Amino acid sequence: MADNSILLGAVAYDAKVVPIWEGIRDHFKKQGVEMDFCLFSNYEQQVEQLLKGHIDIAWNTPLAHVRVQKRTEGKSLSLGMRDSDRDFKGRVVVRKDAGIEKLKDLEGKALAVGSRDSTQARILPLHFLQAEGVDLSKVKLMPFDTDVGKHGDTGTSELDVLEALHEGRAQAGTVGDLIWVGQQAAGKVDTNLIDTLYVTPGFDHCMFDALPSLNANKVEAFKKGLFAMKWENPEHRKILELEGLKEWMPPREEGYDSLKAALTEQNYW
Amino acid sequence: MIEPNAAVAVDGGNLPFGGGLLALVRPGLDLLAPGGVLAVLTRHRSAPDDLATWCRMEHHELVETEQQPDGGTRVLIRKGSLGLPRGEREDGLDLRPHDGRVEAADMLKAVPFPETANPDTGFAPRGARVEPGGPVYPFRVNDATHSAPPDIAALYDQAINAQWNADTDIAWDKIKSLAKPLQRALGQVFTFLAENELSALYVPSKFIARIHPAYVEVGQFLATQLMDEARHIDVFLKRARSGGGGVGLSHATTSASLHSLLTLEDFTEAAFLLSVLGEGTFLDLLRYIEDHAPDEVTADIVRRARADETRHVHFGMSHVKHALKNDPTMYQRLEAAVRKRSATLAGVGKVPALVQDALTILAAGGTNPEAVAKGHGKFQELLEVMHENRVKRLYTAGFTFDQAQTLSELHTPNFM
Repeated sequence: MADNSILLGAVAYDAKVVPIWEGIRDHFKKQGVEMDFCLFSNYEQQVEQLLKGHIDIAWNTPLAHVRVQKRTEGKSLSLGMRDSDRDFKGRVVVRKDAGIEKLKDLEGKALAVGSRDSTQARILPLHFLQAEGVDLSKVKLMPFDTDVGKHGDTGTSELDVLEALHEGRAQAGTVGDLIWVGQQAAGKVDTNLIDTLYVTPGFDHCMFDALPSLNANKVEAFKKGLFAMKWENPEHRKILELEGLKEWMPPREEGYDSLKAALTEQNYW
Repeated sequence: MIEPNAAVAVDGGNLPFGGGLLALVRPGLDLLAPGGVLAVLTRHRSAPDDLATWCRMEHHELVETEQQPDGGTRVLIRKGSLGLPRGEREDGLDLRPHDGRVEAADMLKAVPFPETANPDTGFAPRGARVEPGGPVYPFRVNDATHSAPPDIAALYDQAINAQWNADTDIAWDKIKSLAKPLQRALGQVFTFLAENELSALYVPSKFIARIHPAYVEVGQFLATQLMDEARHIDVFLKRARSGGGGVGLSHATTSASLHSLLTLEDFTEAAFLLSVLGEGTFLDLLRYIEDHAPDEVTADIVRRARADETRHVHFGMSHVKHALKNDPTMYQRLEAAVRKRSATLAGVGKVPALVQDALTILAAGGTNPEAVAKGHGKFQELLEVMHENRVKRLYTAGFTFDQAQTLSELHTPNFM
């Protein structure tokens, strides 16, 4: 493969990942940027292969992103993110009949939580609840550890949390706000039964990561291709909709501070 | 800081975000231009948080959330500019009946044809705002000049009011057996008519899917034309098979002539060759058959068909005149189309033999030699009349007299 061709890694969390990256690859080609992709089954493997230099760029979850930063002592390159990755929030949602009026009331109740590697449905909601003074040792955690390794990308564990609430197996649950609002907009939440108790502070989500040694031409070529995608273009829109964004944004780092603190606190680096 | 002014306000009461509030918020924002502000009053506890997330997803700006003295919350949302629809909002239209009718022509007057149309608006009805991002459709006729004469809606209105029923409107029980030679001649004539009408069914149908829906009245008119042709095929074949006869021969000349129509790829050329020249010539043929019909039922059938065909010729004339007026290069293109078709048909001979004979026998009313001699004369007169009327139509369409003479002489010996 020619040296100027970019090899990107992504995790195959869903069948749609293939048309997404084939679409982006074709779009890059039209922009004069040679790019190909390889798919991993989990983010841990993807991070290892990035660090070994086997791929040029990794499309990483926030957990994978901060791990790459830690392993490169903060020197890794952040190349871009989705609009939807900014100011992500977690939610604590409760059954209205559970008698939970304030966060302290969660103690003694069953709290359904998402996969252990899901930033939005487990790591950060628990971090913020603790910061708000909830004694997590008194909360009955009901974990849904589905699709571990996918870092919550599939959303399956969040849907499991909502199902547990609807069925009354749990009195409260933690989900990301995109799933919460998206499921409501689709009419899949019984809003007579379930409501929001608490919204976490904002944090940022996925990021394109590269090693600091990545050729500057590749960095520029990648950014050029990425930011040329427009919602108004029907070919682009198909891909953007599948990937869950409307606009690619430049990177920013401050949105990961809470996650770094949570990983230290939960000893989950 | 300047307090943003809300331009539209909705009162969401106690509706949850996912339990009805969105149904008020989205149409409210739809009324605004980008930068316009929607005020949402809500008494639902978590609706402001959900609106905040939703705004982030949809690229609207949540300007502020303000507690109200009554315990509710006022959320101000500034509309973003992502995925804005193209076009102006249609509002305040009020189509009123006159004489109890609301006609297609009234609609066209209220919402006129655009000069050009964009294939990426798909099947959006004319006048609808269109969200960007839809695919580009394979429409090929994307301008009014080459598709939509101004009287097309009125023609459509006429057509839908002139439909008749080939099952019940014809006095089938009045048909009596004819002498065999005359019966065979009639079978041959109606076979020829049905074959030509089949081409008049197929040729326009191929263009409907290519015409941009902004000119839907053209498609609607063509749909009536297809219905007319379907009925003509039906009634012609029924007549051929009534009274003891059957269908006759399909000539290679007819087949070659109709094949050259079916392979046309340009809508205006097709309208010219099929409707102006072909169906125009057929008007004279149908009149001839009516004049020499052996019974009133046969005369009624071709009279009804001719009334329909007159509309098709009118459409063809309007279409061609409109195109010629707005695109003078069409003169050359249409003349070239006639010459090309004539070259394709070179060597196919004269009027299909058994059709000529059948028309002669029909005019003779039988096989008596003296009557046949008169029939032969009538047929020669028919060819003259057809030529004269073609020249008149071509001249009316905008061709010079000389051009009209030449083009008429180059017309297919198959009539259509």
